[in-house]
Amino acid sequence: MKTARGYLLPVTLFAVPLLLALIGPFFASGDTTKDVPFDANGRLGTDFVGRDVWNEVLLGGRSLILVAVAATICTYVVAVPIGLIAGMTRSRGLDEVLMRPLDLLLAVPSMLMLLLLVSIAPQSVWLLVGVVALINLPDVIRISRAAALSLSARPAVEAMRLQGESRIRIGLGYVARSMRRTLAADVGTRFTGATYLIASASFLGVGISPQASDWAAMVDRNRGGLFVQPWAVVVPALLLVMMAVGANLVFDRMLRGTAR
Amino acid sequence: MTRYVAQRLLLGVVQVLVVMTGMFFLTEALPGDAAVTIAGDNPDPAIIAALRDRLGLNEPAWHRLGDWLAAALHCDLGHSLIGPRSVADIVADAAAPTVLLAGLTVVLLIPLSLGLGLLAAHREGSRWDRLITGSTIGLYSAPEFAMGILVVTVFAVQLGWFPPTAVGTSLAGNPAVLVLPVFVLLLRPICSLSRLVRAGMIDAQRSDYVQHARRIGLSPVRIRLLHALPNALAPSVQQLARTVDWLVGGVIVVEAIFVVPGLGTTLAAAVAARDLPVVQGLAVLLAATTVLVNLLADIAARALAPAAEGVR
Repeated sequence: MKTARGYLLPVTLFAVPLLLALIGPFFASGDTTKDVPFDANGRLGTDFVGRDVWNEVLLGGRSLILVAVAATICTYVVAVPIGLIAGMTRSRGLDEVLMRPLDLLLAVPSMLMLLLLVSIAPQSVWLLVGVVALINLPDVIRISRAAALSLSARPAVEAMRLQGESRIRIGLGYVARSMRRTLAADVGTRFTGATYLIASASFLGVGISPQASDWAAMVDRNRGGLFVQPWAVVVPALLLVMMAVGANLVFDRMLRGTAR
Repeated sequence: MTRYVAQRLLLGVVQVLVVMTGMFFLTEALPGDAAVTIAGDNPDPAIIAALRDRLGLNEPAWHRLGDWLAAALHCDLGHSLIGPRSVADIVADAAAPTVLLAGLTVVLLIPLSLGLGLLAAHREGSRWDRLITGSTIGLYSAPEFAMGILVVTVFAVQLGWFPPTAVGTSLAGNPAVLVLPVFVLLLRPICSLSRLVRAGMIDAQRSDYVQHARRIGLSPVRIRLLHALPNALAPSVQQLARTVDWLVGGVIVVEAIFVVPGLGTTLAAAVAARDLPVVQGLAVLLAATTVLVNLLADIAARALAPAAEGVR
């Protein structure tokens, strides 16, 4: 009972923006007639070009979530194999070749990298996905390498080796499978990190088309009307903060639940 | 130790060089070049060719890379494509507000996160611990711009306690302007640092040497501050260095919200206008700062806890 109550606040915080983002677009009206800009009447009033703010809120969360999920998946697809190889290999040279370039990635602040790569190259969603995945890469590679390293020192792995199992079979069949829990514990952090980066980029107007409905972009574009029509700014900002706080608390609870 | 410092220094130099080379080739790979940008509304092939000649753009790429690197060593980062000013001038002008914001944040960050971490670790599971741990976990990755705009709405627009932006005032002359931006900048690093301090302290208090110190009757305050704390700090020092990464990101966003004419706004404007020399110069400066701070932190962490070998 106590655990259920402990979940109530985090899950509510997380679920409200998440559901709004995912199913909101089904309830949004396609009616894009423009009214007076920054009109405070009506449900949530209108935005800087006179669009209905509630309708924009319904539309504006989905792309953020989808891009963040895609970026997180890409990170793992690339990082786990690299970490697995680096952790399992007995050749120090290969380990160095795989791990050294990560030191270079860490030399560039992540927001700077995002701003440079995404704004200079031609605009596309996949580029944004790729850059966010790249920024998260070093951490996930290090985590999977550390996990693979400690797993492949286990007696079970030694026994399999002595039995003549191939390295690929040991790697995929035993080490990779045993890494699941370590990696699962880390997914939450990567997802919230990716969401943070993508939202901040959209706020700066990077990687997003000028017409797109997006919570982060709404905060930026409607800032000028903060004194007249605060809802157009406050509602999307509040949803973004709720989602970040809720996601962190939910993932943390889940982690502590499995650790017990 | 000397060997470690030398190795780290070498790595740092290589990092900066590779970042600079990467920046050079990134801008090289783009369609168009400085000559096309300067020619602007007047894309006459003859004028562009003349400009290319004058700017030395017809020389081979590696030659220009060498020139650029050599010039950068002498703090000459080239000229802005827009307007007559040199990149070094632009950067120097914009640096003051950013250094003030970031510096103030770091100065406040260290005592605040130490205090919060120690308070939470004082009694594990206490009400304070749960409150601090809960909020630091929750707020850890809340985007600064969203927090910033909410803070502005409540404290500047509704309550009117602080000015909503820095427009028309100097940061140094009007401390009230600094309160909200620094608060927003502090949030994220405080969350991660105070958690590390807490975890480190709790670990240290369970360790053998602290148990031993208790048994021989040292005072709890002395054990905590003189024996447990230095060991608990080593990971925090490295995390402090990584907050430079966040500060760079945070500063760009916070300067945009509070309309501060600093490095972040300059970078955002240069990126939007494709003023590549300015972008390159700022990127190199920020990357070099990151490398330097990480270098110092690694060495400091090594000095604090020499046993923690292999932690990079």
